Formats: sequence, C-alpha cells, structure tokens
Amino acid sequence: MAEATATGTTSEEWQPKIVMFCCNWCSYGGADSAGMGRFQQPPTVRVIRVMCSGRMDPMFILNAFLEGADGVLFSGCHIGDCHYVNGNYKATIKYKFLKAMVNELGLEDERLKLDWISASEGERYANVVTEFTEQIKKVGPSPLKPEGVV
Amino acid sequence: MAEHDLYHLKKLITTPLYENYNLVNERRTIMESEEPRIGVFVCECGVNIGGYLDTQAVADYALTLPNVVHTKVNKFTCADSGQAEIQAGIKEHNLNRVVVASCTPRTHEPTFRACCKEAGVNPYQFEFVNIRDQCSWIHMWDWEGATAKAKDLVRMGVARSRLLEPLEESSVPVDQNVLVIGAGVAGMQAAIDFGDMGYNVYLVEKEPSIGGRMARFDKVFPTNDCSICILGPKMVEVARNKNINIMSYSEVTDVDGFVGNFEVTVLHKPRYLDTDICTGCGACQEVCPVELPSEFNENFGIRKAIYIPFPQAVPMRAVLDKDNCIGCKACEKACEAGAIRYDQEPIYEKLKVGVITVAVGMDAFDPLPHNNYGYGLYDNVITTMEFERLLNAAGPTGGHVVRPSDAVEPITVGFINCVGSRDVNENIYCSGGVCCMFSIKNAQLLKEKRPETNHYIFYMDIRSTMRGFEEAYNRARDLGVKFIRGKPVEITEKENGNIIVRVEDTLKGEIANVELDLLVLGTGLVPNEGISEMGSILKLPRSADGFLTELHPKLAPVDTTTDGVFVAGCAAGPRDIAYATAHGSATAGRATRLLSVGSAPIMGITARIDEDKCVVCGVCVDKCPYGVFEIVGTNGDRRINVVEALCKGCGTCVTACPTGALEQSHFKNDQVLAQVRNVFQYGGE
Amino acid sequence: MDIGDCYVGWATDEDIRTRGASGGLVTAMLAAALEKGLVEAVVVLKKLGEFEAVPIVTSDPEEVKAAAGSMHSVPIVLSRYLDYGTKVALPAKPCDARATIEQAKRQQVDIDTTYIVGLNCGGTMHPAVTRKMLETVYKLDPEEIAGEEIDKGKLIFETKDGEEHAIKIDELEEEGYGRRESCQYCAVNIPTMADIACGNWGVVGDLAGKGTFVEINTEKGIKILQNAIDAGAVEITPADDKGKAIRAKVDGAMMKVAAAADEKYLAPIEGSHLDYYMNALADCINCGACKAVCPVCACGEGAKCTEFSSAADTYKMSLFHLVRFVHLMDSCIGCGQCTDVCPVDISLTHIYQRFARPMQEEFEYKPGMDMTTPPFFGVDLLEEGE
Repeated sequence: MAEATATGTTSEEWQPKIVMFCCNWCSYGGADSAGMGRFQQPPTVRVIRVMCSGRMDPMFILNAFLEGADGVLFSGCHIGDCHYVNGNYKATIKYKFLKAMVNELGLEDERLKLDWISASEGERYANVVTEFTEQIKKVGPSPLKPEGVV
Repeated sequence: MAEHDLYHLKKLITTPLYENYNLVNERRTIMESEEPRIGVFVCECGVNIGGYLDTQAVADYALTLPNVVHTKVNKFTCADSGQAEIQAGIKEHNLNRVVVASCTPRTHEPTFRACCKEAGVNPYQFEFVNIRDQCSWIHMWDWEGATAKAKDLVRMGVARSRLLEPLEESSVPVDQNVLVIGAGVAGMQAAIDFGDMGYNVYLVEKEPSIGGRMARFDKVFPTNDCSICILGPKMVEVARNKNINIMSYSEVTDVDGFVGNFEVTVLHKPRYLDTDICTGCGACQEVCPVELPSEFNENFGIRKAIYIPFPQAVPMRAVLDKDNCIGCKACEKACEAGAIRYDQEPIYEKLKVGVITVAVGMDAFDPLPHNNYGYGLYDNVITTMEFERLLNAAGPTGGHVVRPSDAVEPITVGFINCVGSRDVNENIYCSGGVCCMFSIKNAQLLKEKRPETNHYIFYMDIRSTMRGFEEAYNRARDLGVKFIRGKPVEITEKENGNIIVRVEDTLKGEIANVELDLLVLGTGLVPNEGISEMGSILKLPRSADGFLTELHPKLAPVDTTTDGVFVAGCAAGPRDIAYATAHGSATAGRATRLLSVGSAPIMGITARIDEDKCVVCGVCVDKCPYGVFEIVGTNGDRRINVVEALCKGCGTCVTACPTGALEQSHFKNDQVLAQVRNVFQYGGE
Repeated sequence: MDIGDCYVGWATDEDIRTRGASGGLVTAMLAAALEKGLVEAVVVLKKLGEFEAVPIVTSDPEEVKAAAGSMHSVPIVLSRYLDYGTKVALPAKPCDARATIEQAKRQQVDIDTTYIVGLNCGGTMHPAVTRKMLETVYKLDPEEIAGEEIDKGKLIFETKDGEEHAIKIDELEEEGYGRRESCQYCAVNIPTMADIACGNWGVVGDLAGKGTFVEINTEKGIKILQNAIDAGAVEITPADDKGKAIRAKVDGAMMKVAAAADEKYLAPIEGSHLDYYMNALADCINCGACKAVCPVCACGEGAKCTEFSSAADTYKMSLFHLVRFVHLMDSCIGCGQCTDVCPVDISLTHIYQRFARPMQEEFEYKPGMDMTTPPFFGVDLLEEGE
C-alpha cells in the first residue's frame, strides 16, 4: 500500500481543474494501476478516455482550455509501444503544433503537457498528476477561463 | 458452481463470439426514437468507494441532470443483486441509457454491457464512469474532493451517454488454415494440437530443422531427462502428422489482412539441394573442405559449409551455407542421390490462414559485448549453453566438460546466476527461474558424472518455484554443491588459467575469494530478432522487457492485442519448457474457438465515413497504419473506400480528417466533446 | 529547352502583343494551350472595369485572348476554380501558384494535369481602396483611368487623356493606401514554384514593354511554352545575363521592401499576447467568410472548425479560430483574402501569419513551394532526433 501524500487543501486554497486525455491501453491502465497501488493524488484531474493518443484531436484540447481547464494533460503509450502501431507519433506532431500555438496565444507554456505512461506505471502516473498540479497551482487559474465557471 | 455463476464468469473473461447481437428487441426499437432516458447506478464497492466519498450525494446529484430519470446506490453493482437492480431499473423506468459509476471499465465493462443487453439496452449505450481506481482509491483522505470529482465525472459520463448510439457487431468468416511461426517446443506443441484437431497447419521455422533451443540442451530440469531424447519423438510426431506442413529454413516476411483472413508471405530460403531427393546421409558434409564454427555447438566444434543441422534433425536434410561455400563441388560428386542444386533461388509463397500462433522463442543473454564476469577476456569463463554442449555426449567433446584454455577437465567449477538478469546495467527482469534451475542441474550432472569435482553456485535467490524444483535443489545440496549467496564483484584470471571469483557470502557475512578451474555464467533469456520482426509484421506491441505483450498478464496470457494472433512460449517472456509447452497447447485451444465456430466478431468501434462531408483530401489514407482507406475512382467520381474489417478502432483517422467526415463509432467527436464540455459548470447550477 | 532556361518572349499576334502585359506572352501561351488541346480549360480574369474582374473558367480561346492585360487591383486566388482531373491552365501570381500546390497536396487539384503559368507580382490593390486613393490622393476621377503600373517604386496611373500620374508607393502606403498589407510584406515575388515564371523584370532595351521574361521551372513549363511556339503563337529569344541580373536585383529590392513592411506589421507583440489576440478577434460575428475564401482550406461546408464551434458558446475566444489556427499554422501562405472579406475588418492575415511563422520555421517548411507533405499531415516526425 502506498503512503498517503498530503493532498488536503484548505478551502481558501484554489484547486486547479485539469483535463486529462488517456489512451485506453496504456495511460488509462496506468491511471488504474495508480489506484490499485493506492498512490494518492490531488483531486484535480478529470480523465477522458479514448482508444489511442492518436485520437486526441487538437480540437478537444483547445475546447478544454476554452471551457476553463487550467491545465491539459494528454498521455499515451511509450513511443514504440503504441497498441495501434504509431498513434503516439501522430500525437507528438499534434503536440508540437498545440505547444507552438499555446505559446503564441499567450497561455503559459506549463499548461499543456504530453506524456507517455504505460499500464504498469501506476506510481509514475501519480507523480505526473501531482507534479502537473503543482505546476498549474504556480501559474494560477487559466486566463481563458470563462467568468463564473467551476 | 451454478450455471448462472459460470455464465457470469464467462462474461468476465471474454466476449462471447457468436451471440447474435442483431437481436431485434421491439421495445428497444421504440426507445431509440425517444429522448434519452438515463439510469445512473452508483456503486459503493463495499467500502472501496463508499468509504471514501459520498455515494448517495453523487446519486442525488445525478438525478438533477437532464434526462436522468432514475438513480440507485448499490453495495456491489457487479454482483447478481446489483445487476438485477440495473435490469429492474431498465424495465421500470424504460431506460435506454445506463451509466454505472464504479470501478474501471477494464474489469467490468463486459459484465455490465452483457447485463444491459439482456434487459434490452444496446451494450454500446452503456457508459462506465470510473470512481474507484481513478477516484476513491487515490483520494482516500479527501472526502469532499473525491465526492466533487465523482460528481463531475458522473456529469461527464451522463453527457456522453446522451449521445451514445446503438451499435451492432458484425463478423467475418474464418479461414480454416493455421499458421504457426516458430518450431521450438511451444510451436511444435501448438502445431500438434491443431493438427490432431484436424486443421491444416503451416509450421514455419527459420532454422533448417525444427526443435528450437531444446534440441541443444543436454538434460532438462528437474527430472534430468535427456533433452533431445524427449524432444526427438515430439519432432517425429510433428513430421508424421498429416495435417502439419513443415516449412523449414523459411521465414514469414509479411502478413496482411485481419482475423480469419490473413494473407501471409513466406520466404523459402534455398538449401541448394532437392529436398525430395536428399536422404540426409551426410556424405556431403564428410567431403566438404570448409570448416566453420558450429552454431549448434555454440561455436565450440565445427560444421562444414554443407551440413546436417544435428543428428536428430527434422527434416533430416542437409543445407548448404552458400556464403561460405567455395564452389569446389565436392559435395555434388559425393552425393549418390544427386540432390545438389547450386542454382536454387529463394521462393516466395503466399498462404491464406485464419489464425496465427507466434512462437519465435528467445536468445540467451550474450555476455560478450560487456565482457560480463570476464567472458571473452578469460578463456575459462563460458556460458551455460556452451557448458550444455560440452556436457552433451553428442557434443564437440563427446560429453567431456573441458577447459577452453588447456582442454583439461576441471575439478572446481563455479556457476554465477542472474547473468544479464536482475541487473540495472543489463535487464532488470528475472528470467523466470530458469537460470537458477539450470545451474543447479548442471552442477549436479557434472558432480554425478565426476564425483571428484567441486561445485559452487553464486546466487542472489534460488527460485525453485515449480513442481519438483525444490526437490532438485535439495538433491544438489545433498550432493555437496556449495551455494554462496552473493553477487560476485570481481573476476580475475591466474596465469594457469584458473579463475578467481571475489564475492561476499552474505549469509556468513564474509568476503571469499574462490578459485575455480572453470566458471560458467548462468545467462538469462533475452528477446531475439524474431520477436522484433514478428512484432512489426503483425503489429504486436512489446513490453518494457522487450518480449511480446500478451493481452492480459493474468486473464489472457496467450491472446494478443491483434485478433486471431496468439503467442506461445518464450516469445512472450522467459519461461521454462513445461510452461512453454502448456502455452503452445493453450494457443491451440484459444485459436480453435475461432476455427470451429468459423466466424470472428468485428467490434463496433470502427471508423465510419460521411461521404457528403468528405472532400477526398486523402489525409486519412497515409495516417491509417492498417490500410483501411484508399482513394478509388477518377476525377469527379473519386471517393474514399473504407475496409471496415481492417479497422482496429484507434481513431487517428478521425483526428486527421479536417472536415469531420470520418467518425469513430463510440468515440465520435461530439461524444468526446460532450465530456470535455461537462468538466466545468457555471457556479451555482 | 531545359528546366532553368530563361528567355524573353512575346505574342506573334500584334493585337495581343499590344493589349497584353509586356508583350502578351502569357495570353498567347494560354490561348494556344487551349487551341491545341494541351488543356481543356483555362482560368482567366474577365475584366468588368478598370478595377474589377471576375474569374471565369473557359474553353473558348477568344475569351482568353480578350482577358489580356495585367491588373493590380484584383486580389483573388484562383485555385478554387480548378476541378480535379480536368486539364487546365491558369495564370498565377505566386500566391495563386502556392495555393494551387497546397490544393494539390489535399487532392483537390491534380498537379499533373494543371499548368501553372506563374506571374511576377509586386502586390495587388483593393479596388475600393484604390478608388478612394485616386480621389483623395491623386485627385483623379476613377472613371478616367486607362491603365496602371508600378515602376521604380512609383505607382503610375495613366488617364484616358494619355497623361501619367505617379506617386511613390512608400508614401501611399504610409497613408494606408497602395498595396494590400499582406502584399506589402510578401517576399515571394517571382513564382519559382509555378511551372513557368513570367514577368517584365529583366526585359531591357528595345523589348522593354513588348516582351516577357520567362524562366522555365518544370517539365510542364517546357511543354506549355513549346506548345505555344509550335502553334506559332509565340516567339522567344534567349535572355541575356544582364536581364537576369536586373531581374534578380529587382527581386532583391522588393524583398527588402517586404522585410521592412514585415517589421511594421508583424512587430513583436508588446504586453500580453492573450489580450492582443482576444481584442483582435473580439468583433468576429462568425460569418465564416474567412474560411470560405481561404485558398489552402480543402474542406467544404462541413468542417471541424465550423461544426463544433457555435455562436452560442460563451468562451473568451472562439473555438472556430483556435481550430483554424492549429489546422493551418503550417500552411498559411499569407495571401490576405481572409482580411479582405472580413466584414468587421479584423486583420486576420497578420494573426494567422503570427502563428504560422514560428511553426514553419520549426519544421523548416514553406507551404506551397513544392509537394512536400504539410507537417500537420505527417505521421513520422520522430526520426528527426526526438
């Protein structure tokens, strides 16, 4: 059983809301593994499952930001291990475009991240989520967040 | 076990192949044209969820969402009672969408889908919300945070479920031929089982003889049976089975198609002789003047340029290594049958098969590149395979284990286990307890043969896990084999060729310098080239350890992520002969489900195209790794042709398509966006 | 005749030679291509007046001949008028040529059956702006205009009475007149990506004004010129080194001017980028005209940018814009049509170019210059040392 890490926050402290896209075979499995290993994380992430990181359309990620996401994470299988051969390669290209766009648009660089987490990497998943949450806390609420959303 | 329980167990393990998803349910047809009527079932999972977040609050919240007409909190939704609640809810409230908020779809999606289907709701209009593995279990001390997150996730799931469409699964016919790639013990067993069941098997082996690694071992643990003696009859069984076509000295170069309909290209490498005429008499190898290191004998001992692979080879035919042939034609003169054919060309053959078993085996770890423990630097450090061939009566020294430096039989022999395994510098995995046992076996065999010898085994752990292994370990200790628990840190060589092993005996807490006449490295098992080749040809992923990945390590150990392709033996990870043999039979069993039924289901989450929106830009064509799309027609008639049977449901084409003409069923743009658009709510609503 | 050869050529028909721009070579070549069946159709601009024209797709050589003459005042990209598979020729400013190539990459145009006759271009002018400029700055009646040209940095109008009125382009553009902003910073003046590049730069001496400088870029370029020669419609003479040098010099000068304009219009944003973009796009009324007119978009009415965004969304920025940015960052050629058609006058081209530049630099990709697959459509980028 994993040790609990401090995740409690006071009601004044702002909690970011992060949208995370996970591929079914690796990253979603990694998220489950984190649960099975009881690796505690801040409750900031909302996972959306798709079959492959190649399915992660830039349109989804952009819409997530417009909806108010303080950070967007998308994760797939490690390079070379994609269940569908090379979906993660395509995700990498989309990521380059999104990153350049987000930078030019003036959103902080830290708000968008692409990572590779395999189904057995429960602890790593928890670390990625925790670290990303910390990063987002530092940059604060997204300037694109519409007024009044929670 | 009651029939009822067996039924649910079956659902848990696999999706039934031939249930008729096309069952038309009158009530369901009517429901489809109505508004979504959603039922949300929140599971407590005992205390796994209920102990860490407020399940009732989540259910109450769900009821406030548009189109949700019924909610229920259950203690164990997957249990009979929980499933009965779902079905009752469906009936009572005319539900046409079901959302279950509980563990993870990776365990129970099939369970609940089947439950819905029974009650008349299309299984693809069922949505799973993960509030355990990805919520209660990771926010165990944040009741509020976990509850808030669960509400968000349920809202997202409900939004998605509104847009889910009923999907049917179609099926394709399954060709009744079988391909087994690799004729080691796992592949041979699979081939025998398929053949005995009456199916036509193509057994493709890249070496000139079947038999694999087992043919090279001396004895096998724990019984110390002579390896080739027990393997030989199996090889003959393969040869005699009328349904098995042995394609030796051949390789699979390409596989196209999909489950039930694979098109395989096999390259038959030329032996440079007519195999119908060659009798395997060996006269050619007697006269051949070219001497080369014998791969079969681990490069101790020689073979000729034209050679019989080994005395028990099946097929018993010679093979000419043309790269090393000097063209003297002595073999042609010596061959009484007149079988030599110098101008043979490679032949490509195309086969159609319905299912494939991949049993391409493994390699032994090679300590040469890093000179592990002095291998390659000091003469008297050898690997286990080299030791096996020395020990073997049919080997290069007639069964005498001798030192490479002076050909003297050693008195003191040491074995180091975990060479290349459990090592951050090499491979971190354990080679399945194989090396522990073969070192024990080899020490014991030499000790029994020459009682004057002394043996040391340097180990970290002894993994004598399977039947008879612990007894073998005890026998070795009784014989006087000394076990030193410690990983040697320094290997040095004396002038006379002796090897000094410096090691901490961790049980005694002492440093020892052990002088040996011969050091044998217990080299682990590593992935071979065949694994990478078949991995890319068949699009099978590999795990971090480099071996092929099975579909599920516990519940589906011989299936792969590619339908119709199964993996057996060491290709899927280090293991011993018994396990590999069992695996081979297992693949025959799993594959025959498809063969005997004669059809395979194509899942419903495939790509669909809206031709009205499609502008035939062709971006999807290159993106699809399975070749599902192509542009057909000319000029104004051009359109994209979609071969749905090839589609594996990844969805990368949908992302690529700029117009949105391509959609992936069950993961359509609007369905995913519905989740994105329900992560947030306006405060106070 | 080889790829890379340069000639000076003209129409043999005197009428075309006089009416046509610098000797009517392009008109004659297009008409001959139609007459001899090298193509089935030609896209040309039918003049409606001194400031306006409309694109037509014609199989009638007479209509082609009637369209002779150059116009600075019609900023339109012709790639949308091409049908897949039809053998067609079109006169193409560099932006037209680049757009055609981008459409070919998206399978909307068959590059093998499309003859792109490139035209040098220093820029076009918006008809409405031009009229205003004539009235306010030149103090001329727009209806009295008989012809116009740009020479040595001056915009010269010829009135019907034969008089010439010239003002320095720089001065005009300082005032907000002159060429379109996207033309001002466009550095692609010679259509090297077209099958054949035609213009009057580099034509000196007796032939000045009566001959067209031609550089052959592809096999199709050879074909269409040779066809015109064989048909007796065109005569050529090899270009001399002096002419080539002059052409290169003019190009260089234009590129310098473009670089200066670049600094003016695409200066780094001061302060918050997000505020800049949100303000710039705030007036958008979701009419979708920018998408309809974009020459590198292949989508028809159904498109991700329109289908999943809605005027009802209460976001701080529009998903329509964001999706178009990401889909087009690597492919925007800066033609400027989006700005032209925007009913609320958003300087869209500058915005798209701001996103496009870093992307195109990173991938070392220039859209429309050859048939290289756009990075966004790529599958395997990681071999580049990821």
